[in-house]
Amino acid sequence: MMKKIETSIDTLKKDIKEFYDYKKWHFLTLNGVALEDDMLEIQWIFSEYEVKNKIVVYYAHIKYDELIPSIVEIIPSAIISQREIVDMFGVEVEGSQKGLYLDEDSQQKPLSGCSI
Amino acid sequence: MKKTINIPIGSQHIALLEPVRFKFECENEKIVGVDSDVGFVHRGIEKACTTKFKYDAIGYVVARVCGLCAITHSMTYTASIEKLIGGEITQKAKYLRILLLELDRIHSHMLCLSHTCENAGFEAMFMRIMGDREDIMEIQELITGNRVQFDYISIGGVNRDIDAALAKKILSKLELVRQKVLGYMDEFTNNWSLSLKFKGVGILTLDDAYRFNAIGPLARASGVQADVRNEIDYLPYNEIGFKMQKHTEGDINARNLIRLNELLNSIEMCNNILEGLPEGEIFTKLRGKPNGESVVRFEAPRGELMYYVKANGSAMLERVRIKTPTFSSIPAFSHIFTGANYADAPAILASFDPCLSCTAK
Amino acid sequence: MFDFKPIRKKSPWILHYNAGSCNGCDIEILACLSPKYDIERFGVINTGNPKQSDVFLVTGPVTFRSRERLIELYTQMPEPKVVMAVGSCTCTGGVFRDMYNVENGLDRYIPVDVYVPGCASSPELIIDGLVKALEILESKTKEIEKPFKLFREASLDNTIVNRRNSALKVGEDTTDDEKN
Repeated sequence: MMKKIETSIDTLKKDIKEFYDYKKWHFLTLNGVALEDDMLEIQWIFSEYEVKNKIVVYYAHIKYDELIPSIVEIIPSAIISQREIVDMFGVEVEGSQKGLYLDEDSQQKPLSGCSI
Repeated sequence: MKKTINIPIGSQHIALLEPVRFKFECENEKIVGVDSDVGFVHRGIEKACTTKFKYDAIGYVVARVCGLCAITHSMTYTASIEKLIGGEITQKAKYLRILLLELDRIHSHMLCLSHTCENAGFEAMFMRIMGDREDIMEIQELITGNRVQFDYISIGGVNRDIDAALAKKILSKLELVRQKVLGYMDEFTNNWSLSLKFKGVGILTLDDAYRFNAIGPLARASGVQADVRNEIDYLPYNEIGFKMQKHTEGDINARNLIRLNELLNSIEMCNNILEGLPEGEIFTKLRGKPNGESVVRFEAPRGELMYYVKANGSAMLERVRIKTPTFSSIPAFSHIFTGANYADAPAILASFDPCLSCTAK
Repeated sequence: MFDFKPIRKKSPWILHYNAGSCNGCDIEILACLSPKYDIERFGVINTGNPKQSDVFLVTGPVTFRSRERLIELYTQMPEPKVVMAVGSCTCTGGVFRDMYNVENGLDRYIPVDVYVPGCASSPELIIDGLVKALEILESKTKEIEKPFKLFREASLDNTIVNRRNSALKVGEDTTDDEKN
């Protein structure tokens, strides 16, 4: 079943470091959901190896101009999802630049719900 | 003086089926760094799912993310919508869904094996496997009416039934394919020149497979017990004889053997389904609109596929997130390339079975 | 003297580029090259080199990032050349029409000779299209053997020169409807 745990961008690195055991948990992806009032929900989704239907989601509500911390030093494979979030929502993630799908100088923010 | 040479592959290249650009940084023969550009086929399907199409049509749109694992995409999306609506489908529809999923896995694995052979320079084997693959394509055409994009699964069940005569025909064709796969098994394990290209090349160790979150055949070849078919209970995989394949070497040869063993296992599962298909309806009408959020995973031929769907009770969804297998394997790919010989790069690349239209959506 | 002309045909080599398709048409093109459908009996070989190829097979609705590569490959191919649009999304945009990163169809960018519909196009259709493309290639070869005229009458609209001009104007009409 899906279990949602709230965190914030200040405590995120600490939370994930305590939680993540690389032989037990499988990091699925980083996900963004545009909310109302120019807010954005960022989700870090994990699943457990060899256990049926166990999914854990860490989520944080942020504004579009906030810097999202990178978890690459804990989970190296998160780098590609972070680059996608940067492209799709026009947010800033520590150490990730634009240009995975869109052009580097592109002004598009396809999935962003931000009004400005 | 600069000691490294940059060699690009792509975006258009004879060894690549799809546009992807790799920039290899080589020191003599060894690759010391790799940079990839995967965004050539980005179309924007995630956005179109929330602005252009209603929820009952999206099952057919997301199938166009990828032509090779189209059925897994529509299956995963349909499963998440059925979870949100809260309906139950008949047992027969579930079995027919597994049948098509496994047929899709068979033809995709055969394509990958043939492509690996071609990139290793074994043209005759490529032609042989591609010729045999047509049997599976014929079965798919007989069941669904189309060879590639077959739009078979819809919300509430499946679109076409199979009768006894068709089942018999499929069984005889599958037996033919099984004999041929046993032939490949012999070729892949005993052929000397293939072993030179495959054994001990492109190794991913168990620890690295965990660290880089490898998935699918790539992870199972290194010894990780990661098969989503084992981790879901939405479809009755344990009733029809699913066995997880595992190897420990982690090289190209191990990946090929994983794929060959999965072919045999899939054929066995298809046989079991066709012999014990229950009676009943293939479609139940589900009432209501989706509401809430769900994460559903499935095992595509290349690994784990995940859909996150958020709905608010209306016909338009709020968010559809597609996490595709190749996308999350890219860090593992780059890790394997580092330290390999440049001459092995096409064979290693083919052994990952990359699907770029999945990756870029 | 025995006349070889009726039985001698050019072996057309194809160049395949994926401009954003879903791989469905690409594996059907691969299936065409494999033993069951075997377009090699028409002398067709898949080559990776644009400078040696005669038929340009394009799949996909042309995404933003593949535009420059597409034009580059097209201009590198020698005359005479035939362009085939394989798949519904290549012909019109198909299911991807009006998505934010997609041009609606190939013919906004380069002149197309043969349209092959279908999602995904079946190998039979692709072979039919390819045979049609060979006829066009033959007529274009005849056309190119005629003396090149710098000044020509206005009545000739569908000559090679005209087609080349339209190819050079690629992309000019796309600036007016900027998509978001």
